[in-house]
Amino acid sequence: MPLSLPGYAGDWLERSLDRQVRLAVTGLSRAGKTAFLTSLVNQLRHAGLDARLDMMNCAREGRLLGAQRQTQPDLSVPRFPYDQALAALEAMPPDWPSPTRGISELRLLIRYKSRTGSRHFLGEQRTLTLDLIDYPGEWLLDLPMLRQSYQQWCEALGTQLTGRRRRFAEGFLNRVSDLDPSATADEQQLADISAEYARSLNSARNEGGYTWVQPGRFLLPGELDGAPVLQFFPLPMEQLGDPAALAELPADSNYQTLARRFEHYKRTVIGPFYRQHFRRFDRQIVLVDVLSALNAGPDVFDDLRHAIATLMQSFDYGSRSLLSRLFNPRIDRLAIAATKADHVTPEQHDNLLSLVQALMAEPLRDLRYADVPVKSLSLAAIRATQARTVEHDGKRHPALKGTTESGEEVLMFPGEVPSRLPDADFWQRQGFDFTAFKPAPQGAGEALPHIRMDSALDWLLGDKLR
Amino acid sequence: MSDPRPGRRFDVQNEARSTTAPEAQAFEQHFVPVDPAPGARYQLDSLHHPLEEEAPPEQIDSALDHALARPKKRRWGLLSVLAGTLVMGGVQAVDTFQNAWFGGDWVSGAWSVLGLGVVTLAGTSLTRELVRLKRLRRHARLREDIDAHIMDTQMDGDRMQGLCNRLRLQMGLGHRDPHWQDFLRARQAHHNARETRDLFNYYVLAPRDASARRLITRMSSETALLVAISPVTLIDMGLMAWRNLRMIDRLAALYGLELGYASRLRLFRAVLANMAFAGASELATEVSMDLLSMNLASRLSGRAGQGMASGLLTARLGIRTLKMLRPLPFEDDRAPKLADLRRQLWQQMRRVDDGKADRKKAKDV
Repeated sequence: MPLSLPGYAGDWLERSLDRQVRLAVTGLSRAGKTAFLTSLVNQLRHAGLDARLDMMNCAREGRLLGAQRQTQPDLSVPRFPYDQALAALEAMPPDWPSPTRGISELRLLIRYKSRTGSRHFLGEQRTLTLDLIDYPGEWLLDLPMLRQSYQQWCEALGTQLTGRRRRFAEGFLNRVSDLDPSATADEQQLADISAEYARSLNSARNEGGYTWVQPGRFLLPGELDGAPVLQFFPLPMEQLGDPAALAELPADSNYQTLARRFEHYKRTVIGPFYRQHFRRFDRQIVLVDVLSALNAGPDVFDDLRHAIATLMQSFDYGSRSLLSRLFNPRIDRLAIAATKADHVTPEQHDNLLSLVQALMAEPLRDLRYADVPVKSLSLAAIRATQARTVEHDGKRHPALKGTTESGEEVLMFPGEVPSRLPDADFWQRQGFDFTAFKPAPQGAGEALPHIRMDSALDWLLGDKLR
Repeated sequence: MSDPRPGRRFDVQNEARSTTAPEAQAFEQHFVPVDPAPGARYQLDSLHHPLEEEAPPEQIDSALDHALARPKKRRWGLLSVLAGTLVMGGVQAVDTFQNAWFGGDWVSGAWSVLGLGVVTLAGTSLTRELVRLKRLRRHARLREDIDAHIMDTQMDGDRMQGLCNRLRLQMGLGHRDPHWQDFLRARQAHHNARETRDLFNYYVLAPRDASARRLITRMSSETALLVAISPVTLIDMGLMAWRNLRMIDRLAALYGLELGYASRLRLFRAVLANMAFAGASELATEVSMDLLSMNLASRLSGRAGQGMASGLLTARLGIRTLKMLRPLPFEDDRAPKLADLRRQLWQQMRRVDDGKADRKKAKDV
């Protein structure tokens, strides 16, 4: 990273004064990271003017002066495409920002008036630097691989490949069953099977709705497309056999080649990604799209739970001190958000919240052990619908008004959200069918409508904006 | 032949039945049998309910709850006796008046007019009291509603907004009131009960808190000043009572919630305590001044100290009243603290002092 010394020293000073925050926006693909970031920038730009941030203390007291985008410190990373995202939302007909295909950064300077006692000699106007990154959610799933060896990885994936999911991997399993781990590696054969594996991942992701697909770069290879580093795959457990025997196989055998590529992938692809972007976070918001998982069925739902629980282990949590702030930043405050809250009626939000809490029960226990304050909220970064009540048979029913993905304008009740993890019986009996909505038409230059962005911002940044 | 002869044998099967049956009978005579036998099983689909828990006795904790609880029956009895006596007295008075009018007995007629006047006065105060009681009961119901639902996270936001609207009416705020309008603008359809309450707290109650705080500071500094200046014990006590009671009334008017009998009594007791302090400290200053034969400056500072203390007591009473009156409990760090008020009070008194000094200087020149 080409950083000048003064710039670096400035960063350090800011950090020691606690005026710089790195916010981790964590979410699997389609969880709404880009929408969240777009809305965050938009709300803070419009703060004090037309943005409704009534649950944010600093904003409602009129102390939040606004925000400006800045050139990010690392010039080799693309800038977050805020303008493009906003253009898509303001277009006619409006559309969601296009999915992220690569990593991008954003530095936001938030201006506010301090009300602490130190304002008399340090000046009333303060600036908080907020660093954000956006990345494809698929890549996030690689982080747990850093702690696994090739063999462990094969075993972990093998246990997952059951039930409905096995269907998507049928083609790959057929091809890989012909492969002898001890035979001398054939480049072309490995490339073919890898391509087949990538296809199986893609169909599990797109058709099956599964979130837990490793390695993530197979879905979005970017500039690595066709490189041997992306030509590996897990071997089924039946073919692995005795670990001791495997370790003694010659270096040009299939098994050793795959293991080598796996290690290389870890070292050159995941490692830098993790080191450059996923350490040194101060705050985190985890976005979970529960509704889509409910739509997809029980095993996808379990898959999501597993994916998130595993993911959360890749971050450092704990309270901070001045020293740890400078040398080893840790996440000292966390928000868990059930996204797309605008896709259900308001009285279902409480259920949505308890469902997300049930889904994340395991990581939440660990966080409590680490004494990290967590707040969970139901959130819609960009509100696409309007909550209404409908008179029907002399009774009032809650309903939503919005435009579906197919462009049809509807007034509907999307259904009830279970407040606990649904059991097998429930899936068989009922299931879910939540409708996806398009964003509402939006006047150019207006603040984006939202649900609880203000609460989220207050929780994540409120204590820095005193 | 019930007694077994020695050496008689029973067969094992019969033994169990024949010996336990009388024992069991004896057992049942002495003990009430437990209805379901241990390990008894029921059909899974038989009708069953969750175990009903006995509701804990409702405790009335806060002073306001005491204040707004329904008036006791005893009080109603007293009131009805009072009303009956008043009506009968009125009838009697009218009767006497008529007799006097037609009989031409002017002296007793005048007495009757006086009596009628008293009846009218009592009647008006009685009606006023009744109206107040009725209003208090309405408050009590509102208060119960608030207490039951204010912390209820299950309630939906719209009902909470209805509750807030009732509170607004109680405070006498119009629909066009800017603070209420701010609240309406801020509240969105997706806000739940807690968020709605938070917004109401911020947009409607917080401005009231600010003016309540200003009121308390102003009135306590006034009291402080007056008590400091006045040289007579009785006047000190009178001032304290007058200013304190007035402050309570004005605070109540600010929040639109009137205090009930019990909390009024409690605050009144605090007022009496303040009066006692003002009187005692005045006497003590007086005596110590004579005893220690202080010079003018120390006399003045002694007086100022006494006034300051009275002001602080008034401020403390104000804060207590504020906490009793506020329809929602204060958020953790937003409750007014005596320390803040003390600083303001001190500044205000210093300002008065400086102003005096300035005026004196101007006069000298």
